[in-house]
Amino acid sequence: MPLWFIRGLRRGVVTTRYPARPDDSAALLPTPPSFRPGALTIAVADRLAQVCPSRALTREGEVLLYDVGACTACGRCRAEVPAAVTDSGQFELAATIRARLIKRIPLADGGRAPGSGAEVSP
Amino acid sequence: MTAGTDTSRGVKETSEALREAVARQFGRSLHIRTLDTGSCAACEQEIRLLAAPHYDLHRLGFFFTPAPRHADLLMATGPMIRAFGPAARKTYEAMPGPKLVVATGACALGGVYQPDAFTHGGIAGTLPVDVWIPGCPPSPLALLQGLLVAVGRLAEKVQDLSFTQNGTPR
Repeated sequence: MPLWFIRGLRRGVVTTRYPARPDDSAALLPTPPSFRPGALTIAVADRLAQVCPSRALTREGEVLLYDVGACTACGRCRAEVPAAVTDSGQFELAATIRARLIKRIPLADGGRAPGSGAEVSP
Repeated sequence: MTAGTDTSRGVKETSEALREAVARQFGRSLHIRTLDTGSCAACEQEIRLLAAPHYDLHRLGFFFTPAPRHADLLMATGPMIRAFGPAARKTYEAMPGPKLVVATGACALGGVYQPDAFTHGGIAGTLPVDVWIPGCPPSPLALLQGLLVAVGRLAEKVQDLSFTQNGTPR
C-alpha cells in the first residue's frame, strides 16, 4: 500500500478539535458587529437603529443598546456606517441569563461629526 | 436568628449538592430533542450539521432522540407560533427531569418577531429557558459552545465581551 495513502488516512482528519482546541472557522461567517465608541454619535446611533431590521440596536439617551440576542448579523449597520461598525468575529455567544446579551455602548458627544471623536491610532 | 441562618445554610448546601449531581449527570451522555416552533428551518439546517463528520457531536456524548421521553435537553427554535404553544408545553412536560431548555436562534430569543396574533415572539413565555444561543442561524460551532455551556462543560464568554473596539475597521 502506498505510503501517501496511509499518510493521507492518518492526516485526513476532518473533524474539528473544538472545544479542546480553538477553531476560528466560524469567524469567517457573518458575526455580530463591533462598534467604535469614538465614532458613535447620537446621530450615527439613530441611523444605525433605523437600518437595523431586527430592532437589535436602539438608542436610549446617551447609550446605544445592542441586543446581541436579537442581532441577525445581517451587516446593514456595517454597510450604513463603515467607520463606526466592524465585524466582531465572535461566535461563542451562549448565555445563561438573557440580560447578559444586552450591551450598553456609550455614545460620543452628539455635537461632533462621526469619526471626529476620540481618534485612535491605526 | 441562628436557626434561620442554619436553615439557609442547609438549603444552600443541599442546592449546591443537587447542582453538582445534576452537572455530573449532564456531563455524561446527553440526549437532545429538537423542537421547531415555527422557524424558517435555517436553525434546523445548522443543528443537522452538528451530526456531520466535521463537527461530530457524538464524540462529545451528545445524541439526538426523536422522543421527548428520552430527552434531557430541549433545543427549541423559532418564535413560538401561538398554535404551537400547547404542543411545546406537552413536549416539555413529557421530558423526565432534570431537563434543560436551550433557546436557539434570534427568533427564539425574541429578536425577529414581535408578539402579535400569530406568534408569541420568542419561546421565553412558554418554556423556562436555561441557555440562550444567539445567531441567525447560529453556526454549528456556536451551537456546540451553547450545548457545552448548558451542561457546564464550558464557561460563558459573552458577559465579558463589550462589542466595542478601538482598532481601525477591517
